[in-house]
Amino acid sequence: MEKLGVGIGWRPEIDLTVERLPGVDFVEVVAENLHVGHLPESVLLLRERGVPVLPHAVSLSLGGAEPVDAQRVAHLGALAEALDAPLVSDHVCFVRAGGLDSGHLMPLPRTRDALDVLVANVKAAQQDLPVPLALENVAALLDWPDGELTEGQFLAELVDRTDCHLLVDVANLYANARNLGTDVARFLDEIPLERLAYVHVAGGEEHQGVYHDTHAHAVLPEVLDVLAQLRARVDPPGVLLERDDDYPADAELAGELAAIRAVLG
Amino acid sequence: MTQPQRDRLAAAQAELLRALLAGGDVPAGFDAERVRVERRALLAKRRGIVEMIRPDVAAELGERFRPLFDAYAAAHPKEVGTRFRDDANRFADWAVARGELAPPRRRRWWRRAT
Repeated sequence: MEKLGVGIGWRPEIDLTVERLPGVDFVEVVAENLHVGHLPESVLLLRERGVPVLPHAVSLSLGGAEPVDAQRVAHLGALAEALDAPLVSDHVCFVRAGGLDSGHLMPLPRTRDALDVLVANVKAAQQDLPVPLALENVAALLDWPDGELTEGQFLAELVDRTDCHLLVDVANLYANARNLGTDVARFLDEIPLERLAYVHVAGGEEHQGVYHDTHAHAVLPEVLDVLAQLRARVDPPGVLLERDDDYPADAELAGELAAIRAVLG
Repeated sequence: MTQPQRDRLAAAQAELLRALLAGGDVPAGFDAERVRVERRALLAKRRGIVEMIRPDVAAELGERFRPLFDAYAAAHPKEVGTRFRDDANRFADWAVARGELAPPRRRRWWRRAT
């Protein structure tokens, strides 16, 4: 994979911060929030500087039972071309079902059925995308019954059957370790790290014994420890900090980026 | 072909979302407490987005915003195709219809704002 370095999620609320933070090697934009043809000035400025801008989608619902919505895929692809992005991403999840919209990234049952549908949807999306697709593990508050595979096995088979890349979110992995008992070391051993596109790091908080992946709190040391466990196995092509709410001072975000760099060594 | 898998997955995913969003029963095999936690998390996320889109409505309702929005959301789960802006505006209309929120003032072009 192409070397990306250390980055941060570009959001309109922190556009100036992202522009002036030192050492931002790449950024990510939420695909659904941008319109090709009306790209934010700040995003265009970063492109002019040569900073890679990676579109990150949240609504393809690739793990949903319904076939992929071609319009959503087309938008993601058009954005990748407009930004000259090396790859795009979405999640291993479903968003919609039975006419209802969860408004969130819902975990999939780790069953053969779910994997078969996910693989078919991912292949359909890949056919219409101009660049490679990376898929991200999500954070879950609840677990489906009757799982037939571990999360690592599920992702490994997904990569094997679709040739997609992986976007490993270490905060989501930590969340699943806390909330579902996922074995972090086993997860990292089972996934094909040679297909790692980049890594997400984010903050969250524990509430009544459950870890919530809020993207509105500081990054926990425990999450950086998961990043260190990953780093012990592979030198990730990129690591990106996500912050989506309760934006802190620039210095705090700079400190979190520095902490990430320190772990990467 | 993946149709049989799709049909089984569709039923399972729909059942879970009904439990989380539309007051449905906890599906077999799920931890009821975690379903409750997830339900609250999804509701809080939806409420937060509506508050962000219509801060005027949230401000006018004050402490009533949260219980009112939660009552609205329970009766109106977000359906596929509904944008968050529509969701926020529908909540405002719902609150107006219940007399909880003042109707939007009709702006007359001949009257200057004072």
